[in-house]
Amino acid sequence: MTGVVSRAGLPALAVVLVAGVLGVQLANGGGDFEPLQPADPCVTRPVTSQAEGIDGLTEQLVLLGVDGAACRLDVSREALTLELAQTDDPTDAQVDALRAGLHDAVDRMSEEGTLPKASELTDEALDDADLNGFLKGAIRALPGSVVDAAVKTDDVLHRTIDDLDLREMLANLDDPAALDRMVEPAVTEAVRNSLVDRLKDLVPGF
Amino acid sequence: MRRVAAPLFAVTVALVLADSAIVTLALPDILQHLHTTVGEVAWVLIAFNLVLAVVAVPTAMVFARNQPRFLSALGIAVFAGASAWCALAGSIEVLIAARCLQAVGGALALVGCLELLVAAYGERRGLTTWVTAGVVGTAAGPVAGGLLTEAISWQAIFVVQVPFAALAVPAALLVRGTDALTDDRHRPAVRPNITLALLSAALTAALFLLVLLLVEGWRHSPATAAVTVSVVPVAAVVAGPLARLLRTSFEVEVAVGCFLIAGGLAALAIPPSAHLAWTVAPQALVGLGLGLTVDRLTAHAMEMRLPRAHHAGWTITARHVGIVVGLAILTPVFTGDLEDAQVPAQEAITSLVLDAPLQPEDKVEVAQELGDRLTGERGRVPDLHPAFAKADVAPEDRAALAQLERDLDEQLERAATRAFRDSFLIGAGLALVALLTVLVPTRRRVEP
Repeated sequence: MTGVVSRAGLPALAVVLVAGVLGVQLANGGGDFEPLQPADPCVTRPVTSQAEGIDGLTEQLVLLGVDGAACRLDVSREALTLELAQTDDPTDAQVDALRAGLHDAVDRMSEEGTLPKASELTDEALDDADLNGFLKGAIRALPGSVVDAAVKTDDVLHRTIDDLDLREMLANLDDPAALDRMVEPAVTEAVRNSLVDRLKDLVPGF
Repeated sequence: MRRVAAPLFAVTVALVLADSAIVTLALPDILQHLHTTVGEVAWVLIAFNLVLAVVAVPTAMVFARNQPRFLSALGIAVFAGASAWCALAGSIEVLIAARCLQAVGGALALVGCLELLVAAYGERRGLTTWVTAGVVGTAAGPVAGGLLTEAISWQAIFVVQVPFAALAVPAALLVRGTDALTDDRHRPAVRPNITLALLSAALTAALFLLVLLLVEGWRHSPATAAVTVSVVPVAAVVAGPLARLLRTSFEVEVAVGCFLIAGGLAALAIPPSAHLAWTVAPQALVGLGLGLTVDRLTAHAMEMRLPRAHHAGWTITARHVGIVVGLAILTPVFTGDLEDAQVPAQEAITSLVLDAPLQPEDKVEVAQELGDRLTGERGRVPDLHPAFAKADVAPEDRAALAQLERDLDEQLERAATRAFRDSFLIGAGLALVALLTVLVPTRRRVEP
């Protein structure tokens, strides 16, 4: 009997030790210590920005837009972001998906009521706009309700997205000044066209 | 004379066997200093083990026709000279050549020191001292190499070996009572040597991969890695008295040792985080297994077999064939897995940067710097800190930036840990195959 205990002692001790160590490792998450898995871009998730005004709005639209584009392309937003960051020549499918994703983002924010009104962005937009001082002063003097009635944020954004050369923008992601030079005329043009269309609606035959 | 000489021979045995893994922690420094590639620098490790495996048995046969003390002295001198040459090597080709010569001298020294230790201590104690010195050297090699690399330089690993070996040369010449060996009378012990080879391959996973994970994957200093992996030799020392306390047979002890090594390697494959504490218990299992197996198998392969030098040669060959096979199997697996880990790591980093609570322009700046770091170190785990050191953010955003750096570092640790998982599991598999070689019943010869 003593011999059996003696023979079985070491193997039993080894089994207890190995089971104990493996058990403790697994109980504390061993085996799950892996890189973060990319989230499904087709599932809606909250998007926030630390920036305010136009920068904050742009960031939220870009984040939601990349999600939408990734969902359309059936890849993760991280994979799409890396692909776009590492290529000088994005495919037509990527550019089209990105444009569609940005439109979806505008619609989603509009439905959620998270798009700021045009009057909330006017001052900031005018600071950067290439307009004479008299005109800027005149626009600033307009009541917010008049600005909001004349210019709809979602309409301006949709027009801007349609006008933007996304391929060139992607090629200049590392140059904020170049991005500003592309976005600013597109926004100005979008606001002008939006106003013209509003006037057409108000004055038949205009 | 015996009081001084015999410990010198034991130290020489430990040094030669430590050399099989001593450069593991120095490989990144050698790679940088000699401007070489990962593939070439691996040969600093492989060449030594391969040459030692190939020349051990022929070397033992040479001893049969010559005075052991002269050959031993010659081997130790060649080993010392080649160690000095390693330290002076100015190119990877020279270092690899010096390592090959070091292995040839090492083989002569190993076999010779066995004869010299037996002459000094007698058959039983001499053999035990030779086996124990080898186990201590094997287990302590990476620790010593890491500490020397961190404290001085990679060349110091080779320089410190020279005086010990140089002192052993005259000591070998002065030993009396060693004669030329008798003719071969016993066949090599096949089963213990196969088990020894498989376990050496598995232990390569434990010692080689663990230090790589600690230094390259989790970005600890070689000294920290060295102190961490010292758990293995400490546990190996504890294993002997534990086994004696439980009085088990050779087969049970070796089988339990194989099982413990397999369990330890499996546990190393699944750490819950990159905290060093999670490696301690798995290493203790590996160390206990090492202490129960390698010395017992080596002694068993040589016990009652003459001439002992031939059988010592076979054990050296078995061990180093195992190490080379282990490296040959595991190196492509973990380097391939490390390459494959880049995509999930980059995606995880991208996800965290996109969602970071930072100003958009700061995100773009950090992302550009990170991109440079990630693409600049293909095949290696990148150091992201320079990307954050360059970022110029508002004071109120610095805490968020620091948190992002910690989160990204954790993602890299996760990716590296995942990349090493398969290799550790293969190591565990090799230990289980070694266990099978012990469990398969011996075919008994039928007496006519």
